[in-house]
Amino acid sequence: MARFNHKKRRGLVKPPVVKNQPTVDQITGQKIPKSFVFSRGRLPGPVRQLELDLRKLMLPHTALKLKEKKRNKLKDFLNVAGPMGVTHFLMLSYPMSSPHLRVARTPQGPTLTFEVQEYSLAADIARSQSRPSYPKELCDNSPLIVLSGFGGGDQHLKLTTIMFQNIFPAIDINTVKLSTCRRIVLLNYNSETKLIDFRHYSIRLQPVGVTRRIRKFVQKHEIPDLRNLKDVSEFVTRVGYGSESEADEESATVDLASDIGRVNRASNKSAVRLQEIGPRMTLRLVKIEEGLCSGNVIFTEFGKEVENAHPETQEE
Amino acid sequence: MAAALQTLDAGAVAADPDAARKRRSNHSKAKSSRKRLRQRTTPMGTAKHQKPTEKMKKLFRKRAREYHSDEEEDDVDKEFPEDPSSDEEKDEDLGVGDYGSGGSEGDEEDEEGVKHGITRLLEGCRAFKVAFAKIMKRNLPDDPLGPILSAHKKLVAEKLAEEDSEQKMKGESKKQRHSADEKGHTKPDNFLDAKEKFLISVATKGVVKLFNAVSKAQSSQSGLNPSSSKDAKVLAKRRKQAFFSELQKPTPQISDSNKGNNNEPGWAPLRDSYMLTHSKLKDWDKMAEPAAAISGERVLSDSSSDGE
Repeated sequence: MARFNHKKRRGLVKPPVVKNQPTVDQITGQKIPKSFVFSRGRLPGPVRQLELDLRKLMLPHTALKLKEKKRNKLKDFLNVAGPMGVTHFLMLSYPMSSPHLRVARTPQGPTLTFEVQEYSLAADIARSQSRPSYPKELCDNSPLIVLSGFGGGDQHLKLTTIMFQNIFPAIDINTVKLSTCRRIVLLNYNSETKLIDFRHYSIRLQPVGVTRRIRKFVQKHEIPDLRNLKDVSEFVTRVGYGSESEADEESATVDLASDIGRVNRASNKSAVRLQEIGPRMTLRLVKIEEGLCSGNVIFTEFGKEVENAHPETQEE
Repeated sequence: MAAALQTLDAGAVAADPDAARKRRSNHSKAKSSRKRLRQRTTPMGTAKHQKPTEKMKKLFRKRAREYHSDEEEDDVDKEFPEDPSSDEEKDEDLGVGDYGSGGSEGDEEDEEGVKHGITRLLEGCRAFKVAFAKIMKRNLPDDPLGPILSAHKKLVAEKLAEEDSEQKMKGESKKQRHSADEKGHTKPDNFLDAKEKFLISVATKGVVKLFNAVSKAQSSQSGLNPSSSKDAKVLAKRRKQAFFSELQKPTPQISDSNKGNNNEPGWAPLRDSYMLTHSKLKDWDKMAEPAAAISGERVLSDSSSDGE
């Protein structure tokens, strides 16, 4: 009976509207990596939220509203991935009551398995900030990725680097518009603890040497409050409270090739300000498999690298 | 005899049911015979219209008896010493019913059952009265459980304690599950600690590096029209040169930060492979093979040469 009903319902379902997303970058001609973020098995509430946050992080080249069912096997996702041009899978699971993240390349692998030792959701981070901001426009472009501390020369680190570099579309320095670089994902490897810190920041540019009042005036297009001023010139000359000295560090200023927005002109210097958004994770690389969640184990956390086709084995 | 019955409580009746039955049986015979007599002698108006069947008559009798049960007690007392045999005789004399030979016996049994019911009700009434009075007289001690009528006070207390412990167990298991679900979930502090500051500075450096590289690359191509093929060629050449020169420039600031890492480009944007390589994951292990064969040192030198 239920089966019959199910069949009946299926007839009414509209075919999904497939947006014609380009699989190839129009300017650079490179293939755009796309990703699926989904869960394997039951996830507790906060980890499920983490999954949603990760999807938001992977925008725009990901399926934000990917519907997954209990009975969905990995093969189902793989079958869809081919025609949709999905190149990466991010799988969250909760085995042995600790969250794990698997990052896999489709369809052949390899698969990196991380244990998520600590994580904070985007909401937690927003709650910890006095002035959180996560405008939707941030998600219109894919984030930059910065990998730091991975240069130890170990094979598994190299592989991790390559994997994460390829998860987001590569940028061509000659053609890229800086106004599209609004977010950054940082992966910092700590060689002592062997943990990877995963952070997600929004990039803000502020002109150097301009008071906050004038900046806001230019940005917001609003009539300023002049009640407490004796003269109009005071609006410009009066020194506002709050120090701008932090932003004026030489290391954090850039010269822009072109204007970005109304405030940041190419003619003057801009300061780079980062504000944390999105999820925060501390990852530990547990193992690397050759295939997609299968195949030979190339690396495990215990230092035993399984010997496969190669006679030479490496230490660590 | 009946007076004795009245004082008896339920327990006593239960203890000696046979005796009570005997007494009742006697009693019933006497009463029933009398009634029948009465009925006969006083013809009722209703009977004239419609002769009630034997069954209906019985039912009526029974109801009447029940109705008069309290009043009749005294009568019964008085009549009790009467000889039962005489009653029976009367019965036969009157010729009530077409019972035949065995009819009288059946009648007797019937009457007995009815009588039994009556006395039981009576006793129940009394017993209930007594019990209720007893309960109401009782002085209740101050009990945390409150007034409980049940005799199984202990059981009730036990049950309540059990429920309480059960609830506690449930709460605990829920808490445990919750804590298991929250494993690894940390709420960040309201301030930036040293680690977060360091991470932000690393990310900032990366962004600055990229932005500077982009502005250099894009400013060099200004003034040329990329749509014409001639300019495009020049542009392509310039781009390559500009970019490589930009990357090969030693940056003191960053090399300082990398001293801890054995002069390796620990930081991806520093390597010339950063954002340039279209590294195919397919071949990653093939690339690694020679390095692995020679051992780790080769890899080290390799990467360092890449960096500077």
